[in-house]
Amino acid sequence: MDKISIRRILGLYGIAAKMDLAWLLRDTKYAITVILADLISNLATVSSVFLLSVRFGGIGGMSSSEVLFMMAYSTMVTGLFIMFGAANNIHVSRIIGRGQLEHMFIQPIPLKAQLATIGFAPFTGGTNFIVGAILMVIAASRVELHVTPQWVLLLFAFLLATMTTIIARSYLVSSMAFYSPVSAEEISSQAIEGTWLLSTFPLSGMPSFVQIPLLTILPEGLMAWFPSLCLLGRPPLGLGSYYPMLYAIILATVAAAIFRKGLNYYVKRGSNRYLPYGFRR
Amino acid sequence: MYKYYVTARMSAQEQTNGGILYSLPTVILKICTLLPLLYLWKTIMSSGAKVEMSLEQMLSYTFLSSILADMLVVKTAATGWLSEGVLLKLYGRPFSVLGQLMAQTVGGWVPMLLMYSVPVLFLAPLLGVRLIPASPAFFLSLLLCVSLGFAIDFLFACLTIRLRNINWLIDRIRAAIIVILSGTIIPIRFLPFGLATIMKFQPFAALGGSPLSIFVGAGNVGETLLLQIAWNIILWPAAILAFKKSQEKMVSYGG
Repeated sequence: MDKISIRRILGLYGIAAKMDLAWLLRDTKYAITVILADLISNLATVSSVFLLSVRFGGIGGMSSSEVLFMMAYSTMVTGLFIMFGAANNIHVSRIIGRGQLEHMFIQPIPLKAQLATIGFAPFTGGTNFIVGAILMVIAASRVELHVTPQWVLLLFAFLLATMTTIIARSYLVSSMAFYSPVSAEEISSQAIEGTWLLSTFPLSGMPSFVQIPLLTILPEGLMAWFPSLCLLGRPPLGLGSYYPMLYAIILATVAAAIFRKGLNYYVKRGSNRYLPYGFRR
Repeated sequence: MYKYYVTARMSAQEQTNGGILYSLPTVILKICTLLPLLYLWKTIMSSGAKVEMSLEQMLSYTFLSSILADMLVVKTAATGWLSEGVLLKLYGRPFSVLGQLMAQTVGGWVPMLLMYSVPVLFLAPLLGVRLIPASPAFFLSLLLCVSLGFAIDFLFACLTIRLRNINWLIDRIRAAIIVILSGTIIPIRFLPFGLATIMKFQPFAALGGSPLSIFVGAGNVGETLLLQIAWNIILWPAAILAFKKSQEKMVSYGG
């Protein structure tokens, strides 16, 4: 087993990036088509909410420029998700449910390091992040935001918290795939894509019995709305700017414990997904 | 017709083979999306901006869009089945491949209609949603919408064949269309910058947005039906021709 250091992790990211570049160069036409599809899909989602805010002169006390800021944040999150999750490593129930975790066990690298690095696709997956960053610059200038180095650091902290929440929730529900690989194979898609539209809703102006469940049980409000308002200098509901970070840490701790338990069960029982002649059940 | 009915029945049963509990996450997610969406519209419409629809109409529009979601933008298993190799087995059965896909899709709607749409109907009065169609033409419009949905889906399946089975890519494009071009989530008439006038003539506007507009009494019934009929006449022959030509190009690696 390789010794894992920061240098080794960066090296693994480098290998993933090199493979991504190789795909882009070898199959440019299809790689560009995929990039465009990703971009169109995300922009359609966020632009629909933005166009509504333009049509109605804002949503629930948020101006159309503030809604644009929120959509920019959402696009950056989507960009990070695509850039770091290109190998089902965030949709981990697919890897578990398909019996592919065993392919990873034979690699001389710890499972954690593999899952953290295999999905890195900066060349074919980075477009949404760049577009999101450009939109954020435009939105920040429209709302006349005073951008300081501390604000940029805070932006990265919020992005990290949002990504941690997405990954932790996915790993939490994906733990079911250790016990029920067939029926839970796509459960991470339900947890991520199934609620994605909801995460683009500005919750401002909605009653608290809608807002609070969306910041606790189903944390869609933490995907873009809450962090955006914090970055705009007015954290909602009196919860404080650090609420998304705290939520991410708690959820990640719970998810790690449950995932580890499921993994222990899996290494003892294995996967029943493949028939002796190779086909998946 | 019996063989199509049996195919549809098998498809419905297949959805619940793992037990009804397995479908619960989808039902919960649908409810969790519907409720905030209704309140989002309440918030937006209370801004006082002058639009062509009332809050009551918009709530009915959103509610109906959620309970009839599968019919308003039809999605068959064709694109996914091609890459998984399942589509090829349909050729071994002694009836039309497109017919099988349609029967399988319609059958697949039944469990969610029973588990989500029907129970949620009882919530409508509590949420202030009125569910009486403004015109009986809604039913004809819904039928035309479903018919056009199949034609468009088959065209997407042909695109998947041409693009070497990248069904994931097709799904992304389709998702974008659902959000912005079909009018099922946001009525096309609400789009700013004059986009509404241009967008209502594109084929996707003849999908879910059309019956929904007629249901709430917000659309010109004659014009809407005419556009739906026209797109059906144009796209069905195109879909059949494209599918016929694409069949020879099908490549599947299996699951």
